[in-house]
Amino acid sequence: MSVSVAKQGIKLGHHDEHDSNHDQIIYEETRDMRLMGFVLFLVSDVVLFSSYIFAYIYLRNSISPIWPPVVGGHQLPRLDTAFAAVNSVVLFGSGVTMHYALENWKHANKRRFDLFMGLTILLGAMFLGGQAYEYAHAQIGGWSGNIFGASFFTLTGMHGGHVFVGVCFLIALWIQTKRGVYDDHRFFGLTAGTLYWHFVDVIWVVLFFLFYLW
Amino acid sequence: MEALSGPEKIIAAIGALIVGYFAIVSLRGEWHKTGLDDQVTKVLLGLMALGCVLVLFAAAGVLPRPGGGPA
Repeated sequence: MSVSVAKQGIKLGHHDEHDSNHDQIIYEETRDMRLMGFVLFLVSDVVLFSSYIFAYIYLRNSISPIWPPVVGGHQLPRLDTAFAAVNSVVLFGSGVTMHYALENWKHANKRRFDLFMGLTILLGAMFLGGQAYEYAHAQIGGWSGNIFGASFFTLTGMHGGHVFVGVCFLIALWIQTKRGVYDDHRFFGLTAGTLYWHFVDVIWVVLFFLFYLW
Repeated sequence: MEALSGPEKIIAAIGALIVGYFAIVSLRGEWHKTGLDDQVTKVLLGLMALGCVLVLFAAAGVLPRPGGGPA
């Protein structure tokens, strides 16, 4: 009886090892393909944002000789550049912490990974809070009041939606790391999450320039 | 020009210097890597560093140029 159980154990162990090797081979063979798919997804998002950004640039140059435009006899105020600069630093900082989170995962430093991942999620949530504050205090006439407000709320709202999805994505990835979905060699989800988060940061660089500095 | 007036601009400037420094250090760390994800990361980290430069310009009052509506 005990010999049979031992044999079964050996068989199961051998089977598990075989499965693990098979998974590793499949992972390595398909990793580049999945990565290319994810990069193409990011490119499609670039196209989406570009269409709105070029529409804004066109409207800005064709509708009014001065910007922000005059509405009801008064020129609209500029957006709060100083506050947006702080909020931008918060988002860019989260990009750096996400990069360090991934690097620490690659080097099997799980404690530091947890620290940087937590910081990234916290900074992302802080950025969203800052955006909400700005929406509540921006005196540019709301989404339907004029073309400046419509462009601002549409583009930054779309970006904010991406940040929100990104925060949820990172939380899901963090839970997956706790459940042992990834190891030191197989962590495609974390790579994709990092690329997505960097992408969201870079879109904000463009929006920050267009709406606050131009 | 409204250079570094108010605590928000000072915080933004210091934050941009710190984040920009770490973005460039991260970029240097990625420089020798050749995978597709590494190449994309290099571009994105470089643009993030550019974003920090823009924040510094904003904090220093170089941008936005004067002429818009009241702040």
